[in-house]
Amino acid sequence: MVILFAIGLYVVLTKQNLVKKIIGLNIMETAVFGLIVTSGMVTGGSPPLLGQGLEPPYASPIAHALVLTGIVVALSVTALALVLIIRVKAECGSIELDELLEPDE
Amino acid sequence: MNGLVHLLPLTVLLPITAGALAPALFHRRGTACWIWALAAALLSLAAGIGLWRELYSGATISYPLGGWPPPYGIELVFDGVAALIPVLGALAVLILVASRRYVEATVPASRQSLFYALILINLGGMNGFVAAADLFNLFVWMEVFSISAYALVALARGPVAALAALKYLLVGAVSSLLVLLAVALLHAQTGSLNMGDVAGLLAAAEAPGASALALGCLVVGFLVKAAIFPLHFWLPDAHASAPSPVSALLSGLVVKMGIVGLVRTRMLFAEADVVPLLMPDTLLLWLGVIAILAGAVLAMVQRELKLMLAYSTVANMGYIALGLGLAAPAAVSGALAHTVYHATIKTGLFLTAGAVLLGTGLSRVDDLRGLGQRMPLTSGALVLGLLAATGIPPTAGFVGKWQIAIGALQAGRPWVIGVILAGALLTLGWAIRVINSLFFRPPARARVITAREAPASLLVPALLLALLAVSGGLFGAVLLGLVEPLALEFVGGGHGH
Repeated sequence: MVILFAIGLYVVLTKQNLVKKIIGLNIMETAVFGLIVTSGMVTGGSPPLLGQGLEPPYASPIAHALVLTGIVVALSVTALALVLIIRVKAECGSIELDELLEPDE
Repeated sequence: MNGLVHLLPLTVLLPITAGALAPALFHRRGTACWIWALAAALLSLAAGIGLWRELYSGATISYPLGGWPPPYGIELVFDGVAALIPVLGALAVLILVASRRYVEATVPASRQSLFYALILINLGGMNGFVAAADLFNLFVWMEVFSISAYALVALARGPVAALAALKYLLVGAVSSLLVLLAVALLHAQTGSLNMGDVAGLLAAAEAPGASALALGCLVVGFLVKAAIFPLHFWLPDAHASAPSPVSALLSGLVVKMGIVGLVRTRMLFAEADVVPLLMPDTLLLWLGVIAILAGAVLAMVQRELKLMLAYSTVANMGYIALGLGLAAPAAVSGALAHTVYHATIKTGLFLTAGAVLLGTGLSRVDDLRGLGQRMPLTSGALVLGLLAATGIPPTAGFVGKWQIAIGALQAGRPWVIGVILAGALLTLGWAIRVINSLFFRPPARARVITAREAPASLLVPALLLALLAVSGGLFGAVLLGLVEPLALEFVGGGHGH
């Protein structure tokens, strides 16, 4: 997960293509969600709703609720980012950051 | 628990619900939507004031959402930090009042309802953020106000705005992810999300390294949100290219949320006492010092009024970070007071800049020569705001800086006073340039000569805020008295200082 996070951060920081930056952001998000899900396994716990007498292992439902919320947030951020990229493309004619920042344009 | 407690979720849910409904109810009916938004913001403000009176007549107010008691349920608290809610509400109301004519002139009719909706959602998100007592909720509310802020920047026309919004979005999303990573680490260690509960459980946690990593992620994430130098690079473009009322909202209120996050983080870790806090404090101190000088110098070399104001925000966030980093009672209360005062000053300044932009269509300071004769009230408000930003006594900017200077003596770092003075002098340098240009130079542009005074709906909030900014120092003792308990709580938890 740490490696995934690092890959995502690297992509966001170094790639000049805006769409690739968004993909990097999504890789980072996936890494964090994965970390939360893996932390959901609790040894010796009991399921909150089904009651006693069931076979372990159980997964903590909170972690899943968190990831679900996180995915919704990530989706809206990605959607907004893609809309903005379309606008940048329409108004500036490019989605490569190094081309956008050239003083001639 | 009396009935007043229910006002707390209301301050959050009311603006968000009203905001979500606004585009559906008032599509292409800008004025009606404006009244709707104003009513929602006023009700939220009234609820905030009611809570505030309750807070100062008794104890902290806590509200378990859905009736589930903490630490299992989600908890909202109205404590010293959340006392910002009435301030946020009042400034948001003024921004909304000022928005009307600006929006009519610059935003297409089909998008006006979206503008008001986003402002309301932003306000609700900020209210939720300052009142959240639950780590994951902190993240969610942060995303609510952040995403609405990205969209608000993008509402401005022109290629710069779209790119600035995208830059703001990328940086903001990475910082949000760092915060989420920290929340994940803390949750994995303690199995809880409630801040008080986490603080208690963290002391017994097995891996102090993970706690330190979580602290680091939280600090860096909130430093980005607070635009503390050198993580400020997204701010000037976003704040300068956004529509002016939005700039006021972002620069006055939204960046302060990073400070709120830092305060909450430090209080949590001070209570848990697992990681020494000296390092983050020193980091804040030094970043604050650099931000004050760099922000003021960068403001000086700008030519556009709104860019100057944006870099001035960078410098002022530096003062606040410096005050928190000193971790002496006087400095922290100074930083907290400056948070409120700077919100007032900068909201007023950006609204005034909006009035100038609306009246003349010009944004460069050199083009605005001689505007003092044509728009005397607007220019006057700008001058008052600039003087307050430099921190000349008895203006609002003075109190915080004075307190931080006293705190520097308490913390045994007298050289910090030199930095504070240098920052104030540099600010005075560019403020004088603007004042000189407005009042003591002949007009250079035809549009300045034909300019007329801004409409009353823009002028009244701007003048009100300018007067508050100038006279704010006179109420300094009152505000310092209000923030002092929080400052003592903030410092009291830290060890080894």
